[in-house]
Amino acid sequence: MTRFLLCFLLGWAFVAHSAAAQDGGPLRIEITEGVIEPMPFAVPDFVPDSPAATEVASQIARVIAADLAGTGLFREIPAEAHIGRVSDFNAPIQFADWKAINAQALVTGAVSSSGDRVTVRFRVWDVFSGAELGNGLQFAGSRDGWRRMAHKVADAVYSRITGEGGYFDSRVAFVSESGPKNDRKKRLAIMDYDGANVQYLTDSASIVLAPRFSPSGDRVLYTSFETGFPRIYVLDVGKVQRRVLESKEGTMSFAPRFAPDGQTVVFSLEQGGNTDIYIMDITSGGTTRLTSSPSIDTAPSYSPDGSRIVFESDRSGTQQLYIMPASGGDAKRISFGQGRYGTPVWSPRGDLVAFTKQNKGRFHIGVMRTDGREERLLTASFLDEGPTWAPNGRVIMFARETKGARGETTLYTVDITGRNLRPVRTPGGASDPSWSPLQN
Amino acid sequence: MQTGTKISAVAHGLLLSWAFLGGAFRSDPLPFEVQDVTMISAEEFDRIAGRSAASEAQPAPEPTAEPAVEQRPDPVSESVPPKARPEPTPPPPPPAPEITPEIAALVPEPPSPPQRASERIAPEPVAPPPPEARPDPVEREQVTPEAQADTPQEAQDATAPEEAAAEIVTEAEETAVLAPTRSPRPAARPPRRPTPAPETAPASETETATDTATETAAKTEDAVTAALTEAMAGARDATPAAPAAPSGPPMSAGEKEALRVAVSSCWNVGSLSSDALATTVVVAVSLSQDGKPQGETIRMASHSGGSEAAAKQAFEAARRAIIRCGAKGFDLPVAKYDHWRNIEMTFNPERMRIK
Repeated sequence: MTRFLLCFLLGWAFVAHSAAAQDGGPLRIEITEGVIEPMPFAVPDFVPDSPAATEVASQIARVIAADLAGTGLFREIPAEAHIGRVSDFNAPIQFADWKAINAQALVTGAVSSSGDRVTVRFRVWDVFSGAELGNGLQFAGSRDGWRRMAHKVADAVYSRITGEGGYFDSRVAFVSESGPKNDRKKRLAIMDYDGANVQYLTDSASIVLAPRFSPSGDRVLYTSFETGFPRIYVLDVGKVQRRVLESKEGTMSFAPRFAPDGQTVVFSLEQGGNTDIYIMDITSGGTTRLTSSPSIDTAPSYSPDGSRIVFESDRSGTQQLYIMPASGGDAKRISFGQGRYGTPVWSPRGDLVAFTKQNKGRFHIGVMRTDGREERLLTASFLDEGPTWAPNGRVIMFARETKGARGETTLYTVDITGRNLRPVRTPGGASDPSWSPLQN
Repeated sequence: MQTGTKISAVAHGLLLSWAFLGGAFRSDPLPFEVQDVTMISAEEFDRIAGRSAASEAQPAPEPTAEPAVEQRPDPVSESVPPKARPEPTPPPPPPAPEITPEIAALVPEPPSPPQRASERIAPEPVAPPPPEARPDPVEREQVTPEAQADTPQEAQDATAPEEAAAEIVTEAEETAVLAPTRSPRPAARPPRRPTPAPETAPASETETATDTATETAAKTEDAVTAALTEAMAGARDATPAAPAAPSGPPMSAGEKEALRVAVSSCWNVGSLSSDALATTVVVAVSLSQDGKPQGETIRMASHSGGSEAAAKQAFEAARRAIIRCGAKGFDLPVAKYDHWRNIEMTFNPERMRIK
């Protein structure tokens, strides 16, 4: 009887739906399957207002195109394929020319130069709709800072098309490496996210580890073995001045990371063979112990709101990930897969945790929800480690080391979908990346 | 014995009695045909047989000539309006909303399909054409050049059409042209008739003759105008809020699926943010009759699951999909245009999210 009633109700619903669809209203369809492919775009050379601006106008357009194409979300249509020419920034766009080459987004711009000052204006167009995305925008700066202006334009374009923030106008602190593995020289360095403008912050006299940007991007925490013991330093990036954070005699401090407020540092402290997590107020130097287990608790990372800390611990017997309140207390294990989990980093969006996983002799970079669900491994190689998040929480940079005594360490980026794995150009070997927030 | 049993027994008894006595099992006789038969004696039979043998000796009656096929009227000649007669005609009657026979005659009667000679297999073996004749659709007699002929004649074999084809050619496979091969040339539009003065002088003979054709047209025009006025009045009387129901058969599931697949192939969610991928947008669009979306009509009808900003990104991706894949027109049946003139597409990216 129940089955009969169910059949009747289903039949009635179908008939009612069919009748509703034919009652003179619009035809209704539902689309649940789409495609995931890079969006074709075109960035014709920006229009210079004078011969002096010609070169920089072209360079800016190239950097914008490289930024967008490097995300894997966009595909540049090369200039050779362009039908239309943009010779006047204010002239109406001939959309048919760009539709013909299937450019879905178009970036037009103009560059004016006056002495050492450069001004960049641009517009973003949705070609098939024939509409402008957002309004025209203008950046001005010194001629030397043209790359930053190009990155800012690319950020704005990215944001207008995808709806999320960009990450191009950002920097990366890393450890520059040279020499064989048994005599490797390490220096603290900083560069643009794309590998340009590398600056070295320390010499290679002592080993440095794990640089970490402050939330405002003006300082870097790192661990140095200058004294033979690991000590934590704070480096002012703009002034290249540093100071050591106080620590107790006979202890080792490492794995530091800023809290979102920029005034507190969370780090690991080894004392008497036991490693626990502490926080320190930078100004006062006061420390607070957050964990007190006989296991090794290390690699702490704050959530963006500063309320929780994710860290790794071997308290269960193997290295796993745990989350605890920022004030310490009960830690909840979130990783339950096979293998060992380490170096967790909370996403700037707060929704994911990136980690390094070692399983069956291979290393992976992966992400999982903050409750441990939906674990997804993005890479697999001989040695992948040290993930760091792009400011928009969409891309992860990490270090990959190849096998052998002369194996090289290279930085890579990968989208959180696991697509678009790309190496980052650096002058030599590079490891331990730390991505800064977007610059002001 | 209980009362119920007694009642049951009595009732059953009554029922059985009625069944046997009342004719419940009686059925009507089956219908059959009746034919009268008369018995005749042997003498009578011989006499009838002898009469029929005598009648065979009589000459057969002359076959009557076949009635001449009635000449089908030429549709062209029918459609030509009758020429105006030179004699004066009485004043035209008031226009009546009736269709003139000239208009009805404009549609020619389709000619009957030609009779096929032998394009099918004969039900029984037929004799092959004469040995000296070769198969040919056109039948020709054999020509033998005569020696004494004044003019030289070209030798020609006799030909005859095939008696039967090698395969059956059905009527469905025939390419009979049923459409009229000629159509009447439309008459030139008559000059607009001036409004007659209240008192007009009697028209001369020549004027009346030239006005005859225009009067016919004017009558038709007035009739159309009257019909249109009536229709418009009817439309005004109807309830204005009631939308016109789509005419024609509804969209089939296959046609809807084809449209869905067409839009899906251009719906690129690769560049959407996570928030936009969590947003379902309903996009309304109107299509022109050639299946092309009208860009200015694309709008977001509603959205759910995300912020306004995310919905905006999701809508822009959906709009790109509609415009891109509809640039050459969606493949939709024109006869059902009323059904797909306005479309609401729900873009649900739930299955496209990162898992």
